[in-house]
Amino acid sequence: MTSTSQPTALITGAGRGLGLALAHSLLASGWRVVVDARRTAHLAADLPGAFVVPGDVTDPDHRDALASAVAAVGRLDLLVNNASDLGPSPLPRLADVPVAAARRVLETNVLAPLALTQRLLPLLRASGGTVMNVSSDAAVEAYEGWGAYGSSKAALDQLTAVLAAEEPGLAVYAVDPGDMRTEMHQAAFPGEDISDRPEPEAVVPALLRLIATRPPSGRVRAADLAGTAA
Amino acid sequence: MALDFILPAGLEAAEPPPARDGVRLLVASADGVRHARFGQLGEFLAPGDLVVVNTSATLAAAVTASRSGVPVEVHFSAELDDGSWVIEVRPAGVSAGPVDNLRPCEVITLDAGAALIVGEPHPAGQARLWRARPRIDGGVAAFLARHGRPIRYAYVPRQWPLPEYQTVFAREPGSAEMPSAGRPFTAQVVTDLITRGVAMAPIALHTGVSSQEPGEPPQPERFRVPAATARLVNSTRAAGGRVIAVGTTVTRALESAAEPDGSVRERHGWTDLVLGPARPARTVTGLVTGWHAPGASHLALLAAVAGSALVERAYAEAVRFGYRWHEFGDSCLLLP
Repeated sequence: MTSTSQPTALITGAGRGLGLALAHSLLASGWRVVVDARRTAHLAADLPGAFVVPGDVTDPDHRDALASAVAAVGRLDLLVNNASDLGPSPLPRLADVPVAAARRVLETNVLAPLALTQRLLPLLRASGGTVMNVSSDAAVEAYEGWGAYGSSKAALDQLTAVLAAEEPGLAVYAVDPGDMRTEMHQAAFPGEDISDRPEPEAVVPALLRLIATRPPSGRVRAADLAGTAA
Repeated sequence: MALDFILPAGLEAAEPPPARDGVRLLVASADGVRHARFGQLGEFLAPGDLVVVNTSATLAAAVTASRSGVPVEVHFSAELDDGSWVIEVRPAGVSAGPVDNLRPCEVITLDAGAALIVGEPHPAGQARLWRARPRIDGGVAAFLARHGRPIRYAYVPRQWPLPEYQTVFAREPGSAEMPSAGRPFTAQVVTDLITRGVAMAPIALHTGVSSQEPGEPPQPERFRVPAATARLVNSTRAAGGRVIAVGTTVTRALESAAEPDGSVRERHGWTDLVLGPARPARTVTGLVTGWHAPGASHLALLAAVAGSALVERAYAEAVRFGYRWHEFGDSCLLLP
């Protein structure tokens, strides 16, 4: 039997990388976890117990399905907008980036989190919940080739900041996890050796610390949350 | 510090005494040590003295819970300003200490579909007490009233009902453990004090769980010293009367509201005051206390009011004469 008091998290883009690692950790800690991913075949084995909704966050029907899954649980304590689109690989300079690709990046990284947050705000307000938007240092630093992705994350940061001002009952964070050894990071540096970057699992304790300590809403860097007593 | 005692085994009070005011009272003053019953308290006080009591009521703060199917006992220690709670999680049954492997974000499931989301150690720097966010319909107080039981440690072999853990002064629920120095008071004792011209006044301080590790400082506690009590304390001091705190909780509350000159102001909030050699008592000039496992911070507080020599003498006499320890045990009046 499940109970309505068991805390529940929705994590987008949990098929790989940081989303998968965070979902794994919350499940192990006793949370109910709803996840989505475009590729989900492996998740039955990798995330036993999770509620898996296959799909793409830019698809309104898929967002409806996610909202329905959460509504079936009846509560939401944590929304993690983690699903992201890097854009073309290798990363083109702004002079060369196809506008259609940039639009697609903004759809995934800005508008989808906005739409999903709108859908789930009533449940988040009811629980005094937490919204965690996964950002990047590319949102604040001018890295060549990162124009589309970086500007989308900058927009997500500002969306986060305004949501925090409008919803004082929620904890709202834009989190820069730092570089990680993920498929997305490899796509940004094709052919390069990224094995010096930490595994996404190494960042999870910082995210758990953020959820657990619930500091004032704002933009945070996982590196500043290190020293975690997990 | 010089004060250190071994608590002799077999002197723990394992159950409530037949009559609250029938427990023994050791009176330690500059004139020496006397042995009496608690019902005689008034004989050792003078008209114009002020006895200050704690009106915090004890919660049924212990509940059965589960960590992923493993039964545990959760002790609710204090509610924080943001609605989260400080908790201690211990193995099921009467255990010797807390579990040692809690993790942030861990979910602890309670009865009736309720749950706690574990946060971080609180305060930081230890791993016994943790912050947790309750997911409890109807609130924690109602949940504890329905599903909780008083916190009990191994020296009390059976569970006693909550009224055994309430003092006659208990009004506002909020203490994880009974402010036990007030337990021997009865309506009759209070009437006797009032009739003798001894005044009484209330404060509230909600106690946290007491299961400190050696060397661990006392945790912050929520307290309130009302304006009327502050006035009574100040007029008592001005007239040369003694301010007798019933328990370390009352001492901590009054001293947290004390100015450097010893006068007291209305005050409420959280106190992290630690009394000791560096911060002796300013206001409290006498103390009614139970006999407790003499942890360093407890003894430092007694010594801050009564001086180490008097406390040392009182403890030595109590051990010699077989006084009973802990919340159901005998009592002590320190009058330096």
